[in-house]
Amino acid sequence: MKEIVVISGKGGTGKTSLTASFAQLGGDKVIAADCDVDAADMHLLLQPDFGNSEDFYSGIKAEIEHDICSQCGKCFNVCRFNAISLVKDKYSVIQLNCEGCGYCARVCPKNAIMIVEQNVGKLYVSTTKDNNLMVHARLAIGAENSGKLVAKVKNTAKKLADIHNKDYVLVDGSPGVGCPVVSSLSGADFVLLVTEPTVSGFHDLKRVYKLVRNFNIKAGCIINKYDLNHKITHEIEEYMKDEKISYIAKLPYDEAFTEAMTRAQTIVEYSENDLKKILIQSWDKIQNLVKT
Amino acid sequence: MRIAFTAKGVDWDSMIDERFGRTQYILMFDEENEEFEVVDNSSVGEVAHGAGPQTAKKLFDLSPDVIITGNGPGGNANAVLQQKNIKIFVGAGNMTIKQAYDAYKNNTLTFM
Repeated sequence: MKEIVVISGKGGTGKTSLTASFAQLGGDKVIAADCDVDAADMHLLLQPDFGNSEDFYSGIKAEIEHDICSQCGKCFNVCRFNAISLVKDKYSVIQLNCEGCGYCARVCPKNAIMIVEQNVGKLYVSTTKDNNLMVHARLAIGAENSGKLVAKVKNTAKKLADIHNKDYVLVDGSPGVGCPVVSSLSGADFVLLVTEPTVSGFHDLKRVYKLVRNFNIKAGCIINKYDLNHKITHEIEEYMKDEKISYIAKLPYDEAFTEAMTRAQTIVEYSENDLKKILIQSWDKIQNLVKT
Repeated sequence: MRIAFTAKGVDWDSMIDERFGRTQYILMFDEENEEFEVVDNSSVGEVAHGAGPQTAKKLFDLSPDVIITGNGPGGNANAVLQQKNIKIFVGAGNMTIKQAYDAYKNNTLTFM
């Protein structure tokens, strides 16, 4: 079983549209995993049934036991996140502000402050509209994605892939270069970079590739909307050569991306034109690269 | 040589844990007296953020000559380990500890 992770650095490059398309092309050989948990949307395209769910705990926050609290106000004074409120002589933790640093609990003379692990959402193992397996998560309001949650989604998908004898775990990675992305990359066999020829697209590609290089993972790249700016597309191609990133494909700007999305379809479902052909070839290329 | 493996179990036949930061165990093998030391690392798996640097800190204190893992460590963890000149080898993701050790001996792992 091989793990393929799709990342982009910048948002809006078409990462999830492509990941969902490849998941569909891979069919029952693939388990899809949505690790872009902050803004999970692959479920809109693959329409999983939210079949099996479990609560997910990540991160810690402070809670004040009001029966024990002596209203000394030390916690209020040390909190750097303005997360302690004082209303009618009663100190409370503003949950949305609390970063879980635990400073308040440390200074509390009455030990009235508990550090509590947070239920931040649910993890799902689902069956998609095509009857394939998908692992995804839904965060509670105000909760954030974390390396821990990404690891949990990935490890669940990998375990299922082993049990059901699947060839690939296909991961829709998180945006940016932070902790969730590091966690997305950890343990991966191949990275697919999806970029676009804009200044920020290219900049973020370079930034995220620096991270990939750290992990020593093989990478391939798709330039989406390449005809928006031929000059930057050329620069990206040169960069790929220099960095030995495999060239997978160039896709023209195509409103089929949006059209497909509004119908809750993947591109390969929606489009019967050249775009679909390129994506089929791309998926073949990716599979060959992963094998070697 | 003292060699540290990121591992999913506690003996030669256990699989390498391909994740660096959230590895379940760190196995320390001392080539001199052929002894294993097992360090349970599962508590790091429970932290929301910054697993890599925490595992790196543990390894910094354990101070092996060599680390063998899957494809980490990331940037921050690496910055910690570089302070101590620990040699890091990757690409042991789908191997058992024994296989990874043999691969290291045969120079077939990738030196970071």
